Amino acid sequence: MVLIAMLAVGGCGPTKEQIAASRAVEAYFAGDYAAAQQKLMQVAKKPDENFVLNNVRLGSAALARYDLDTAEEAFLRAYEVINSVGVNAGGRSLGAVLVDEKIKIWKGEPFERAMANFYLGLVYYMRQDYANARAAFENALFKLRDYADTNDAKDQYAEQESNFLIGLIMLGKSWQKLGRDDLARACFDRVRELRPHLAPLVDYQRNATSNLLLVVEFGHGPQKITDFDGSIVGFAPSPMQAGTIPPPRVTVDGLPVDLQGLTEPPIDLLAMAQDRRWQSIDTIRAIKSAVGSGLIIGGAGATIYGANRGREDTALAGLAMIGTGLLLKATSQADVRQWEMLPRTVFILPLRIPPGTHDLTVSFPHAGSGLQQTWRGIIVPPQGQATYYMRLQRWTSGTYTWPPMRDDLARIQPAYPAGNRTP
Amino acid sequence: MNAHEHRCGWRSTSDLRSSAFICGLVLLLLAGCKNALEAGHNTALDWVDLVKMTDDMAMKIAADPEVQRAYAQHGPLKIVVQPVVNAMTAEVLPRGPAEAFTARVRTLLAKHAPDRFIWIMNRDTYYRLLDRELEEIDPGPSPEAINPEYALTATFRSLTDEDPKRRSAYYLCVYELSSLADRTVLWTGSYEVKKIAVKGFLD
Repeated sequence: MVLIAMLAVGGCGPTKEQIAASRAVEAYFAGDYAAAQQKLMQVAKKPDENFVLNNVRLGSAALARYDLDTAEEAFLRAYEVINSVGVNAGGRSLGAVLVDEKIKIWKGEPFERAMANFYLGLVYYMRQDYANARAAFENALFKLRDYADTNDAKDQYAEQESNFLIGLIMLGKSWQKLGRDDLARACFDRVRELRPHLAPLVDYQRNATSNLLLVVEFGHGPQKITDFDGSIVGFAPSPMQAGTIPPPRVTVDGLPVDLQGLTEPPIDLLAMAQDRRWQSIDTIRAIKSAVGSGLIIGGAGATIYGANRGREDTALAGLAMIGTGLLLKATSQADVRQWEMLPRTVFILPLRIPPGTHDLTVSFPHAGSGLQQTWRGIIVPPQGQATYYMRLQRWTSGTYTWPPMRDDLARIQPAYPAGNRTP
Repeated sequence: MNAHEHRCGWRSTSDLRSSAFICGLVLLLLAGCKNALEAGHNTALDWVDLVKMTDDMAMKIAADPEVQRAYAQHGPLKIVVQPVVNAMTAEVLPRGPAEAFTARVRTLLAKHAPDRFIWIMNRDTYYRLLDRELEEIDPGPSPEAINPEYALTATFRSLTDEDPKRRSAYYLCVYELSSLADRTVLWTGSYEVKKIAVKGFLD
């Protein structure tokens, strides 16, 4: 029975939904957001253990295509499960402990939950539904409290909030749009207090008079890795390994825009991910792995001893110990599911541009890979604020026309190698 | 039974126990696994609150002496229904539910007191329907053609808090029937509820 259980666990390959999701992620990084969205639309409907993960992936792909309806629905579905408790109660908890941690319904690390709420808030902000945007940004900050120790006093949450200033900044901007200047100033003051070098970004007047907000993502978020044993999980690369984040550059109609004070990254997800909270299940996995290793070693010794002495019982017992040890090792593998599409950082750039239609270019000249997107026909309103989201990746550099078409993003001059994608 | 047969019998019993344990474990795991949408609960306002709240509000509006006086003096009240204003802390209220929490009050009153109220679609909903170009639905005259006299509005507020152990929310949902002419409040009602969700092992 032990052997059968081992085979059952060892023989579990990826399902067709997992393969489809994996291909969707590849398509996303190749810049083919339409294909990524199409693949994810199918798998995101299935309410399995990857429901939240597939929906946040879908939200990422849809947001990059400016399909805000789909992005909102996807992030909302994820939001509802993330906010729920007891999702893994009963059989799933038992399964995660005894069989495979991937049985649990994935809800993400606290920074992933915060980002899901951030994106939901961003979609509402782009749609000028500032009340819901405010609520989503508040919830993003709540999600970070899961990093805190259960005995922390509430003022200890400041440390967690200080790592997620994009939530606080957008919350302040939402309050400003809702006419609550007092609360907006409180948020901006808090950011200034936590990170004085971001003071220009949270200047009250600058945000009040801005008519164009660019939300620009750069880099790749943290990747889950395991140790040699497979039971302990961490995140890589560290910020030091990844290097400094280069500043963005913005030109409008060919003329550079003064971004003084706005080029400091308000967040580094690589740094946030290093603050991984050790949970009970991590302890369980570590113990299972250690016990498994002990049983394998002990079983090997017993088998050899029994074989040498002609003691069949001892040899069989040794084999059983090895089998049990292998089973424990197999079931102690960490869950490395993650939201691959997250960026390393998100720049928030509140600008004041003459109202009208413009050609806008955002680039990272010091990134070394020619990251650049040009959007022709960006509309800047005479009143209010238009918000544009950009995910700068290697294969999405090029020139686009606003508004993006639903079937694909229209390009004038692709900057990617020929044959990768068709306009 | 000799020693060999005794050993075999013991092994068989032991094997049976192991098999039964593993089968039982598998069955237990399968039985306890709900899908992502079935499992868990949260502190958001749900359909139970929707029904309870709107039943209460509709009943109170219909029975309110001021509302009855207004009807007696001016005939059926022309009312436009607005979606709920979300002032809740860390709780998103998408457009659908935001409309549902006031639309259901309208539906109940339209059903139980049809002669007392004339319901006017709000402008945003009207133009949204028009944009969808639904051939089978006649959206009726444009909102500009009929001037509403009153507005049924609602604002939902909450005190929400969350820590590593639990999430709690206290909701105050306030409905108002206000005159659009002089902004006086003809009727107001409220619904309060507190919800707590305690986080589990893998939450």
